[in-house]
Amino acid sequence: MGRKNKAQEEMVGFGLIIALVAIILLVFLWFSFSNSKKETVQSYEAESFVQAALQYSSECQDSRGNFMDVEDLISACYKKIKCSDEKDTCQVLNSSLATILKDSWKVEKNSPIKGYEMNISVNGEGVFYAKEGNSTAESKGAIQALPTGKSAEIVFNAYY
Amino acid sequence: MVKKSKRSQMKIQQTAFMLIAVTLLFVLAGVFFLGFKLSGLKKQALSLEENNALLLVSKLANSPEFSCENAFGTKRTNCVDEDKVMALKNNEGYAGFWGKSNIEIRKIGSSEKECTIANYPDCDVIKIADGKQGGAYVGNFVALCRKANVNGYIEDKCEVAKLLVSYGVQNG
Repeated sequence: MGRKNKAQEEMVGFGLIIALVAIILLVFLWFSFSNSKKETVQSYEAESFVQAALQYSSECQDSRGNFMDVEDLISACYKKIKCSDEKDTCQVLNSSLATILKDSWKVEKNSPIKGYEMNISVNGEGVFYAKEGNSTAESKGAIQALPTGKSAEIVFNAYY
Repeated sequence: MVKKSKRSQMKIQQTAFMLIAVTLLFVLAGVFFLGFKLSGLKKQALSLEENNALLLVSKLANSPEFSCENAFGTKRTNCVDEDKVMALKNNEGYAGFWGKSNIEIRKIGSSEKECTIANYPDCDVIKIADGKQGGAYVGNFVALCRKANVNGYIEDKCEVAKLLVSYGVQNG
């Protein structure tokens, strides 16, 4: 009877060692897989996109004949200043930014980008807003303040 | 006496077998762990190359060879001087300067028309460095600015483009 008990104890000990090794392996595997997840959009991409978009030369010319960039257009739209050919600066801003967004962030069925959202406001007043696709839980964004004298802010989010 | 000795021998044998089994278990676990780690080495190497490409792409736009400096009014960030880049593309002194990576600039929403001295600026892709690495690319958005002739006047014209740097597989 005593011999049988001892054998049983040894079996339990061996089982415990196997269980311990299995748990260690599982923890190791879990860490290996959880670290390997790669992000589709990096924060620097969202930041560089906002900076590059602000410098885009639109078709709207100012009174001196210079092509206004998006940064100038935001200010002009807020102040209700028109282009030299009487075009509405807000309309030019809308069409320019919509094209840039559409061409830069392709939101398609099998695309890694699920959607984007951009909001531009001056003194709390909305100047431009665009949203495409879905707002998922994972996103990368950029906030840029403009040195226009007014409190202008651009908020951009790319969802993936 | 003989009976006791036999019993002890059995005990020693039992312990020896147990030790062998436990050692084998740990060796197997070790082999599995090493195999897993070694299979990840290639992945790690690729990840390192990707990080290098990321570092390069984030610095490149503001490097003296690419940046607009004060050519378009005030100093701009993430601004690439297109005229400068076209001159750089044909400068043999810069061959291999950025290592094995391919470096190119693509205007967004445009075609695949490659820029040469003959068709510039009516083109969309500027291939600056043609290194040996192909495969995957990392990119950064930049403002691509140039001096344009509009009705006889020189105007600043900036477009949104993507600066791309390759990493990974070597093409021969």
